[in-house]
Amino acid sequence: MTTHSRRHRVLGGLSLAGTLILAAACSSAASGTGTSSGGSVAPAGALAKRCGPSGSYTIGFAQANNAEPYRQRVDADLQAAVKKYPNFKLVIADGQGDSNKQVTDVENFLTQQVDLLMISPFEAQPLTPVVSKVFQSRIPVIELDRQTEGDQYTAFVGGDNQNIGKQAGTYVATRLLSGGGEVAILEGLPSTTPAIQRTEGFKQGVAANAKIKVVAVQPADWLPDKAQTVFDAMLRANPNIKVVYANNDLMANGAYLALKGQNKIGQVAVIGTDGLPDPAGGIHAVLNGQLTATLVYPTGAGEALDLAKRILLDCATSVGRNTVVPTTLITKDNAQAVLDRVPS
Amino acid sequence: MSIPSDVPVGAPPTTGAPEGIDGEAFAPSRGRPIRSVAARRSPPGLVTMLVRFQSLLALVLVFVGGIVFSPRRDGQPLFLTTENLANIVRSVSETGIIAVGMTFVIIAGGIDLSVGAVLGLAGVATATLLVDHGWDGVPAVVAVVLAGGLFGLAQGAVSARLRIQAFIVTLAGLQVARGLARIASGDKFINISYGDGPHQASPSFAHLGDRIFGVLPVSALVFLLVGAAASVLLNTTRFGRHVFAVGGNERAARLSGISVQRVRIATFGLCGMLAATSGILHSGQLNFANPNDGTGYELTAIAAVVIGGTSLFGGEGSVIGTLAGALLLGALNNVLQLNNVNANLQLIATGLIIVAAAALQTLVRSGSET
Repeated sequence: MTTHSRRHRVLGGLSLAGTLILAAACSSAASGTGTSSGGSVAPAGALAKRCGPSGSYTIGFAQANNAEPYRQRVDADLQAAVKKYPNFKLVIADGQGDSNKQVTDVENFLTQQVDLLMISPFEAQPLTPVVSKVFQSRIPVIELDRQTEGDQYTAFVGGDNQNIGKQAGTYVATRLLSGGGEVAILEGLPSTTPAIQRTEGFKQGVAANAKIKVVAVQPADWLPDKAQTVFDAMLRANPNIKVVYANNDLMANGAYLALKGQNKIGQVAVIGTDGLPDPAGGIHAVLNGQLTATLVYPTGAGEALDLAKRILLDCATSVGRNTVVPTTLITKDNAQAVLDRVPS
Repeated sequence: MSIPSDVPVGAPPTTGAPEGIDGEAFAPSRGRPIRSVAARRSPPGLVTMLVRFQSLLALVLVFVGGIVFSPRRDGQPLFLTTENLANIVRSVSETGIIAVGMTFVIIAGGIDLSVGAVLGLAGVATATLLVDHGWDGVPAVVAVVLAGGLFGLAQGAVSARLRIQAFIVTLAGLQVARGLARIASGDKFINISYGDGPHQASPSFAHLGDRIFGVLPVSALVFLLVGAAASVLLNTTRFGRHVFAVGGNERAARLSGISVQRVRIATFGLCGMLAATSGILHSGQLNFANPNDGTGYELTAIAAVVIGGTSLFGGEGSVIGTLAGALLLGALNNVLQLNNVNANLQLIATGLIIVAAAALQTLVRSGSET
């Protein structure tokens, strides 16, 4: 009997604990959707259903995958930038690198009737129907960094990968290797758009200098460990490589490790892409000399929220459909200055 | 619901094996105590009942919590809207279907880690058949389901004949399926667009992404139908009884004339078929196939099975519990998300629920052994 009642108590305790966790989790955030209030019915032609400077608005952001460093930076930038707008409440859903999950996230935002949807679709085609559905229910949609297919969204904000690659190429052609030499490229995951465009752009950039020769191009799938292995082999096959361009900073770090392994630090310039300001990111890597340069792939958070402001607070009837956020070339000369400008 | 009370854990009722042998004599060889059948037959106490229906109870709890804490519009809880409920079922349909297959494997004493990769492979295979080979929807679906079943049977056969643990065999199967998926797709994503032109899929396949009467998604309906059929299979057929017997006490099952290997292999075949079904729905809903899809789905499915009260030691469990477990996970995430709870806290909440479910089982098990 005693064991019995003890079991009852423990069981009761467990279920009570579970309920409390749920209750706490919910009540701590229960201020959620309920806070969308005020504002008035939008004037005819406005992009939003409800807008005006006095209302409060919920913006749902469907992130593709919180686990990637770049995407964490996007979240952080958005959270920092949204502080400028006391009328906005930003809610971030994590698609966990799974289109199926992200579709569910967007469906939930639709159920909640958020005032504006921001999304970085994990994959274009799978997310297109649900995003169209949101757009057709007259919820404005701002796509960040990646696009769905067709035209069922309000605006797109993102960097220009081709141009970023081209600027890296131009920097190599005119500054690093103006006298010519051998160059290698570490590509991101094959068939992904940024990998294709950055590589293509870089080749265009270095083509301006006829004395530069691209001797090796290999994918390392965005991964530093794979980049280390791949570049180690490249370097043994082509010992005269003077510059390696990596489609992202993680692979550039991998290339640096390969150089270290062969005692060739300083003999080969390493250029990355992304330029995240985090301690493990590319800007710090430039500062401490691991990378020669990197190109910032901008998150576009500020630009996206500025669009949200025009749509929700100013009742805009149209906004720019494509906002290209410019990149910055980071070298030792400007790395510290760029870091100092990053909002904490 | 969980185990029909007329089915003893150790042996099928037809054998008439003395309970003493079943319950005690073979226990040491299994390395863990087996509850006597007599204990199972004693009138269930409140705690036992609680555990037997733990996932249903927990689902009700989450459901009530969902209504109470749901944000409201015009006084109506958003959680309870038809569309939201349909969305919940849809969101868990793929992992739920996998979990149903996994339930059979786990009750029979195995585990299948390959299911997520098989989903990815099936999605790619379906897309390739439709887009590149111009197959019609129905034959493509049938072929892929059968192929998934064969893949499962092969894993089961390797595990049984070579006496390698299912964990290892299906871990290898995961790698093989993922590799095959990448080869089949040529390392690319496959977009599925519909029409009669070359490299367009048969429009009949597009219905998988439909909503019946504009409300119930087809994948959700398939999930519920699969669950119902599987529950009948497990609870009312000879095969179902054999699955319990094999997982509960292998030697007793063998002595009573059950082909243990064949039953185990069959559960893997069933699990493979359901994983493939899930992959077909996946590509049908997303109009897209990515060879990397389904990564980690095996873990979500196992979570649903465990929450549903199925024992990882085998011999105990129910399909209804698994359905409730899967729906619980979906409803929980939905409630949390509707309340704008931080996405990372949602992961933690899921983890706590799994531990609570497992703790409940252990508690009752240790109780009934005394």
